[in-house]
Amino acid sequence: MIEAIGLTKHYGQITAVDNLSLAIARGEVFGLLGPNGAGKTTTIKMLTTLSRPDSGTCMIDGFNVVEEPFEIKKRIGVVPQENNLDRELTARENLLIYGMLHGVRDMEKKMAETLKIVDLWDRRDSVVLSFSGGMQRRLLLARALLTEPFVLFLDEPSIGLDPQIRRQMWDIVRKTKIDGRTVVLTTHYIEEAEALCDKVGILSRGRLIALDSPENLKAIVGEYVVEFVNGDGKLIQNVCKTRDDAHEIAKQRGDGVTIRRSNLEDVFIKLTGERIETGEPVE
Amino acid sequence: MRQIFLWYPIFFREMLLFRRKLLRLGYLFSAMIVPIIYLIAFGLGLGRSVKIQGTDYLTFLIPGLVAMSSMNNSYTWVASALNLNRLYFKTFQVFIQAPISPSSIMIGEVLAGMVKGLFASVLIIIVGFLIPSGFSITPLFVMTLLLNCFLFSNLGVITGMLAKSHEDTATYSNFFIMPMAFFSGTFFPVDKIPDFIKPVIYLMPLTHTNIVIRKAALDTEGLISFAVLIIYSIAFFMYGSKLIKNYTE
Repeated sequence: MIEAIGLTKHYGQITAVDNLSLAIARGEVFGLLGPNGAGKTTTIKMLTTLSRPDSGTCMIDGFNVVEEPFEIKKRIGVVPQENNLDRELTARENLLIYGMLHGVRDMEKKMAETLKIVDLWDRRDSVVLSFSGGMQRRLLLARALLTEPFVLFLDEPSIGLDPQIRRQMWDIVRKTKIDGRTVVLTTHYIEEAEALCDKVGILSRGRLIALDSPENLKAIVGEYVVEFVNGDGKLIQNVCKTRDDAHEIAKQRGDGVTIRRSNLEDVFIKLTGERIETGEPVE
Repeated sequence: MRQIFLWYPIFFREMLLFRRKLLRLGYLFSAMIVPIIYLIAFGLGLGRSVKIQGTDYLTFLIPGLVAMSSMNNSYTWVASALNLNRLYFKTFQVFIQAPISPSSIMIGEVLAGMVKGLFASVLIIIVGFLIPSGFSITPLFVMTLLLNCFLFSNLGVITGMLAKSHEDTATYSNFFIMPMAFFSGTFFPVDKIPDFIKPVIYLMPLTHTNIVIRKAALDTEGLISFAVLIIYSIAFFMYGSKLIKNYTE
């Protein structure tokens, strides 16, 4: 469905995305995981025709993103990181304009359906300014779904949302996958990537450093993590291949040791030596 | 076929936003205040005892104020809104990511700018008819007014696309719009201006609007000015469309 080869984008001296290649299958939920500034948003902008790559190519559904942007725009829906709704217009007016721009037929029916999916039907005639942050994110999602896109791009879909609203967003994304759409999302939330994605690409400083299913990525580092605080007050993490190995280490350390399953943060730390959410180095 | 009408959602959106603005008293007031101050200061105050080109000063001034007001409003609202929508609200990106042509975006924005310019002009025209003067409207006046709104809406798109910050739009305005308002024949005929500045004055589109808008019918001078306005309009439209087409982040 999506195939990118060697995508590169510079902003002045900075290389935002460096020689990125990936392939995403139809119906897959693909996550780009990485800290702020890793190049996730730039990648999404290039895939959605908003930003022209300096080099490399990308095909979506057989069309070239740079040479045939018109065909791409007919096939994609985008939820950007910034809220770009018209705040002074109502939810309905926002969808109406978007639907007109994309030539949506049977508009009233589609608007009702999507507003009900995101649970905003009762607020359809309210001005967006009166919406909470979570409601605005949901309306952005409804707007992107209105055109029934082949590929749905979500740039940090749950950024700044409280956990309950975040889970509501996840449910909607899962439903979108059930409908057969390909979903590409960026996130720096480990939980989000693990909860939603069939495949995860890990980005660090503009480079794609790993790409696989969350399970396979975790298998790189080992299934279990033993954590304890050392004499200097630092959190030490030992990753183990098996549960027995983890118990062995725990037994040696004695009290104050916890054993947990590894996650994508551990993979990121293993590959980069830094934490995803803060970018801090880890010893 | 659908492509032809794809400017409409852009225009429709602007009109929805404009309708909301109109409901605020401040908007109406701000559209009228500057030309009315000029009308009172120059027309009713200073110009009471002045005659220009054989007519009383108000008859000379009102068409100039209509031209100036249509320029200011068409230009400013488009430049400012487009710049804010592109850099801060990011709503412009919704248009860029929609399957419509750059010229559709251009037409939608320009038509919306024209409506705003015409709205402000109509307010001045109403005031012009309420005070005693020889001011009248001819078909040529209406055509020139429409062309002026079109031209400056196009220029507004160009500024909105080029300005790197909202403060930048004010800089463009100070360099291009402000001098035009004062030196293009709004308040006094351009033949009173020293000869060495005249080439610059005749480069300014508003000068040509002021020439044509005061004529009852097109003579040679009017025809040349009208042609200049059309050439500027086409050039600005094409450049604005190109800027939208080449937009990338």
